[in-house]
Order: sequence, then structure tokens, then C-alpha cells
Amino acid sequence: MNKISTRQLLFFLACITPVGKIVILPALLSETAKNDLLFPFIASYLLQAAAVFCALLAAKKGLNFYELLAHTFGQIAAKILVTLYALFLLFAGLLPILEQKLFVQSVFYDTLPSLVAFAPYFLFAVYLMAKPLSSHGRVWDILAPLSVIGIAGIFVLSFGSADFAALLPVGAAGGKGFLEGTMSATAWFFDAALLLPLLGKFEYKKGLAWKGTLCYLAGGAAAAFFVAMFYAIFQEIAPNQLFAFTATSKYFSGITMLGRIDYLFIFALALVMAFYVTLPLEAGIECVLEAYGRPRYLHTGLAVAVTAVFLLITALLDYRFTEVLDAVTKTAFWIIPAFSLAAPPLLLPLRRKQHADR
Amino acid sequence: MKNVTGDAEKCKEALKKLLPAEDFLTFDFCSAGGAAFCVVFADPLTDKDLLGQQVISPLQNYRGKLRAEDVAEAIFSPETKTEKSVEKLAEEVLSGNPVVLFSDMDMAVVVGTKKIPVRAVAEPPTDVTIKGPREGFIEDFKTNTALVRRRLKTGELKIDTLNVGRRSSTTVAVCYLEGTASQKTVEEVKQKLNEIDIDVIPDSSYLTHFLASRPYSLVKQVGTTEKPDIFAAKLAEGRVGLLVDGSPIALTLPYLLIEDFQSSEDYFVPPYRATFTRLLRLFALLVAIYLPAFYVAAQLFKLQLFPVKLLLTIAGSIRDIPFSPSLEMLLVLLVLEVLNEASIRMPKYVGMALSVVGALVLGETAVSAGFVSTPAIIIIAFSGIGLYAVPNLIEQTSVLRLAMLLVAGSVGTYGIILATAFVILYLVTTENFGAPLVAPFAPVMGRDLRDSIVKYNLGSLDKRPKTLKSPNRRRLA
Repeated sequence: MNKISTRQLLFFLACITPVGKIVILPALLSETAKNDLLFPFIASYLLQAAAVFCALLAAKKGLNFYELLAHTFGQIAAKILVTLYALFLLFAGLLPILEQKLFVQSVFYDTLPSLVAFAPYFLFAVYLMAKPLSSHGRVWDILAPLSVIGIAGIFVLSFGSADFAALLPVGAAGGKGFLEGTMSATAWFFDAALLLPLLGKFEYKKGLAWKGTLCYLAGGAAAAFFVAMFYAIFQEIAPNQLFAFTATSKYFSGITMLGRIDYLFIFALALVMAFYVTLPLEAGIECVLEAYGRPRYLHTGLAVAVTAVFLLITALLDYRFTEVLDAVTKTAFWIIPAFSLAAPPLLLPLRRKQHADR
Repeated sequence: MKNVTGDAEKCKEALKKLLPAEDFLTFDFCSAGGAAFCVVFADPLTDKDLLGQQVISPLQNYRGKLRAEDVAEAIFSPETKTEKSVEKLAEEVLSGNPVVLFSDMDMAVVVGTKKIPVRAVAEPPTDVTIKGPREGFIEDFKTNTALVRRRLKTGELKIDTLNVGRRSSTTVAVCYLEGTASQKTVEEVKQKLNEIDIDVIPDSSYLTHFLASRPYSLVKQVGTTEKPDIFAAKLAEGRVGLLVDGSPIALTLPYLLIEDFQSSEDYFVPPYRATFTRLLRLFALLVAIYLPAFYVAAQLFKLQLFPVKLLLTIAGSIRDIPFSPSLEMLLVLLVLEVLNEASIRMPKYVGMALSVVGALVLGETAVSAGFVSTPAIIIIAFSGIGLYAVPNLIEQTSVLRLAMLLVAGSVGTYGIILATAFVILYLVTTENFGAPLVAPFAPVMGRDLRDSIVKYNLGSLDKRPKTLKSPNRRRLA
């Protein structure tokens, strides 16, 4: 399979990354930051965009993540660091998967089904993880238009119900609301961390860091607009509308006649999400493969093992989403920012290949 | 005996030993000059009138002493060649070409007076057009190559033949435009054909298994066409084509999924019309695959998907149905598949009876008896029609439809979404002869999109598809 092209990477940053941020996060932000929910959201996006810029800049060195570390710290230290990073990615991937499980069980069924309804996701996950990460570029080519259609469709159907005056007065939630909101958002912002295992799988072309960051911010702008619209529609009851992008369009007048046509767009976004939430796990596996070699049995074995572990965790935490959320956003709120915001800039001073060869 | 010697009688015996069947005949005669000859031929495959006129009669009247260099002059046939190997001679006889043996000459002459019964060139039933050429390939290899040559009058058109099949020794022609097709693809195709070790190739579809990168895949990986105009157009785009003796279906490589959404007629109508019909085909295909599945998933797991009034109508129709929605839909689908299969295979004169039985007895009566609901019949009918909007993908889409239905019946809409994700992932990771199956969508190839679902004006299609890696991309000056 060919390398990921610049276009595919930009598609990922602009169109696919925002999807994960418009499910539960808007409701959480509206609970903590109320009508100021945009500020923590935008702040998280800006911080992450800076990290994305650094991660893309690190691609200039022409090495993959493991090689970058190995050239500076030696192979043993690099293996330890990469393994730690892989564990972090698996940790970061837990909440989005549980979020998706809750989303699927609540949105796609009239009555809350058992875990069995979500279990086929793990079959898909193992198949996806067994594929080389570089083949994802083509998947993003297909998912990007689906994501755009999905988000645009939801916008169109929802816009008429929004009263943007509800976002005023600005600053009502105060600094505490902003801080709490930013902390709760950290669990959803680790896109820069996903880029590190992709290093070496795409070529750095002139201006990629800027283009990538701008694309990421463009996707963020669309997501921010959606978050604003979400609050503008639901206002005080926004925290109760757990699955934002499935809720905003339900007041569209045509639904009485045509049925829930908004579900077409929701299905498109759910399809994108199925790939997006698996990416942290794949990225984790990729880290291990880079460090320890990639025989077929190891790749497939890791895919099966990681899937089995996540299936088990999902089964154990079936009704404990809130507890996991609290653990990730409150107790261990520093873990995700520590890796996703700190790791990309730390890669920049590392040695290039040429320096190591001299 | 391996090679022909000056003894025609011994040579004849050697040939008869290799070809012991009764329909291989020999005819011994002498020339006016006294030289002895023997013709060995396959009775059902040889044009005996032509053999008499072009070979036997001139040789009988030949007065001088016949030498090897005079043979070509003595025989009045435009298609002759000399051969020494007895095995090769036997192969020629098996192909229908008579062999002339001479006394006192260590070679034999093969004469091209083959006569194989062929049907007339007609419009293929699987690819009917309103505008555009109506000729279709037939089973005769030579006629097919003539139909292609007629459309591509250039020396660049190469038709390299090779034989495949230990027993059938089927002639397979690798057709391509030199300098336009990727040489790497040509070599790869030839190599794969040479590696085939099978006894008989009854049809070109047998070759697809050997040419596919994923031979056990549900997904089609080799293009097929029955029309020489499409075949020639594909060669002109830089593809490699295969004509197989005995098969009216030509193969083209590399294959892209989008090809089956394009019809030859799209190029003879205005671009906006072609774009509209392509979109329609895509919509019909999606309806064919997903409609029964979503209907079942909505009924079982998410009634909200129906508008209220429609929900009331459906509720009224399914109230007394004894089966679950998924079982009901499966039964109707099964009946449709059986009717479909029967209508293709049964003799034409009982076709009317089948329509009556299918439409009235099974449809009308099953609904009034309360076995199946009217919405189920409507949905399957709509899906069945949609399937035929893209006829080249029927085998694949009908299996996919069934799979989606089973998934929908057990997991609901999320199951359909996951199954779609599976299909997407599978399709984007499938490549054959270096061409991604889902190109120009994944990977996106900007210029190639001009002749994909959207069809641009002919003037804008100035370059050959990038996916095909043609060494000469410009086609319009």
C-alpha cells in the first residue's frame, strides 16, 4: 500500500477529527461552562492545533516515531518510551470507545439493548487494526466527503431552530467554568498524539505543517459553530441532550412528513466515528510494531489481543461511563495533555537521520 | 516419431496414433507427376470444399517434380505454414487446420482451411443500448479480433496469442495498444496466463480467478464486456484486453469498480444526461442493497425512522403476519431469487406462465393469505429492480443485500453501518495490477474524477486515467 498522501492527511485533520468532538462533549461543556462553552472548546482546539503543528513539523526529519527516539536516546530507551506511548494511546482510546458504545445503544435502538448490540464493533476493530496504518489514507478519502455531508446536513436541518442570543452574555460562567470546561475537554483532544505514529508514513512537503494546522483549525471552526448552535437550540437543557449531533436536528419541520431523515446524516457520522475511535488503538499497535518489528503474526496477534482487552473493559464498565469520564477528566486529567501537548514539541529538537549517520 | 521424415506413410501412422478418434480422416492421392500426398484433417472442423479447391485439386494437377520450395506455389491457399514436429502437426489438426504430408520431404504443410460453426454477430443480451453500436462479441476468436481491429486500425494494436489449458489448449489473445498500455501490466498479465495450469478453459470467466489478486474475494477484480466498441475504448484508455476462443465475454485489466457504473451510451449522450444516469445507477444500487435491510432494522429496533403516517400503514399491514420482519423479508427475497433464476433458465415459451405464477399466485395470494405483507413485497420489488440498474454487479450486490439483511435482522442499523465500514475497508485495500479498485475516489485522483460518477464534456477528457499508468497520457490534442 502506498504512503499516506498530503491530501489524505489534510482530509483527516479537517474532516474526520471534528466528528469525535460533537457527540458528548458539547453537553459536558454546557454543564460546566454554560453559555460560555465555546471558550474552553476553542482554547482546547488552539492548544491542540499548536501540538498538531509541532507533530507535522517533526515529519520534516523523515523518520518514524521510533527511529526519531532511537537516534537520540538509543534503541532500548526508545523501545521503553514507545511502549509507554502506546499504553497512553490505548488509555486515550478508552473513553471514545465507551462514548461510542453509549451513543450506539442510545441512538440506534428504541430500547436500551445489551452490550451484544455493540459487540460487532470489536469484530470490525480487529479487522481494521490488522490492516497496515498506511492504508488509512484511502479510508480517509472516502470518509472525508461522508463527514462533510453528515455535518453539513445536520447544520442545515438544525440551523432554523437556533437562537444564538442564548450565548450572551459572554463570560457569565466565569474563570471556574472555563477551567472546568477545559479540563473536561482534554479527554477528547489528543489528535496531535495520533499523528506521531503516522510519522514516516507520509512525506513532508513544503508548508505541510501550516496547511495541516489550518485544516485542523478549519475543522475546529465547523465543530465550534456546531457547539454554539447546539447551545443556541437547547440553552439551559443542553446538558441533558447527551448526544449533541443527533439532537439538534430533531426539530426540523420536515421530519413529521418525511420521518427522521436527519438519521441519514447521523449514520454517515456514525460510520466516520467507527473508524475514528479505533485510530488510537491502531496507533498504539503501530508504535509497538515500529519498535519490535512487524511480523504478520505479531500484528494480527496484537490486534486480537487489544480488541479482546477492550471488549473485556467495555463489558466490565458497561454502565460506568460517568465514573470513567470522571477518572479521565478529573482524577487523571493531566495524562492526556501531558502526552498529546508535550510529546510533539519535544520531538522537534531530536536528531535527524543525517546527524546520526555522521 | 518426433519429426516428419521423408516417409509420408510412417508420418501418417504417427499422427493417427496421436489422434486415434474416428473423426480424424486421412486422404491419400497422387499428383499428375506421380508424387504421393496424404492429407490428415479433423472432419467436423475442416472446410472440405476449400481443402479440395485450394490443396487437393492443385496438387493433383501438378505435373513437375515437387520440391520443398515449390510447395507454396503449388497450393493455392493464402494461409499456409510448414512444420516438422509431429506433435505440433497433431495440435494443428485438432485446431481444424488440415496437414499435408509429402513423400520424400522432411516437412509437412499446414493449411488454414478451418471451418468452425459460428453464430452471427448480434447485440449482446446483457448490454443493450439505445444509441451507439450494437455489435457484440461471439464465440469465434477470429471474428472477435476482426471486430476489434475494425475499430482500432493501427499497427500499435498488438494481439499476442497464447494457449491456456492442458487439454483444451484454448487460444487467449492479449490485446493492447503498444505505447498506450502499461508494459508492466502487459507482462504481468502474460506471466499470470502462462502460470495457469488447468486442463480445460471453457470460458473467459475461468481466467478471472487466476488474474485476480484476491481470487476468493466476493469483489469483482477483472472487467468484462461483450461489446467490441467498449473493448476498443478500454484498450484506447490504456487497459489490456483478453479475448478467449469460445467465449463471447472479453476481459479487461486493470478493473476499476466505477467501470460498471458507466455505460457505452453515456458517451453518446450529453454529459449532464450521462451524469444523471450514473447517479441514478448509484442510487439504485444503494437502494437495492440497503432498502430491505433498513426496513427490517427500523421495524425491529428503531420505529422512529418511519414517518408517523407510514408507520401506521406499515403497522396495519404487518399486524397479522405470522413471521418476524427479518424472516418475512428473507422469504420474499428467496422467492425473488428463485423466480429470477427460473426465469433465466426456463424455456422461453413457458416464461409467460412463470410471470403469472410469480406475480399473481405468489405475490397477490401470499399477501391476501397473510403470509407476507404488502410493504415487504414492494420493498423487495424495488430492491430487485434497483439491482438490475448495474447488471455487471448483480452477483456481488445480491450477496451483499442478503448479508446486510441478516446483519440488520440481528444487530439493527448499527450492524448495517459496521457492515458498510467493513465493505469500505475491504474495497479501499483491494488492488489489482497496481490499480486501486475504488480509484478515482480512494485514492482521489482529481482529473480521473471527470469521468467517474460525474461525466465531463468530451473536450475535458483530454488525458487517459492516471490510475492505469499509461506511458502516454494525452489522448486529445
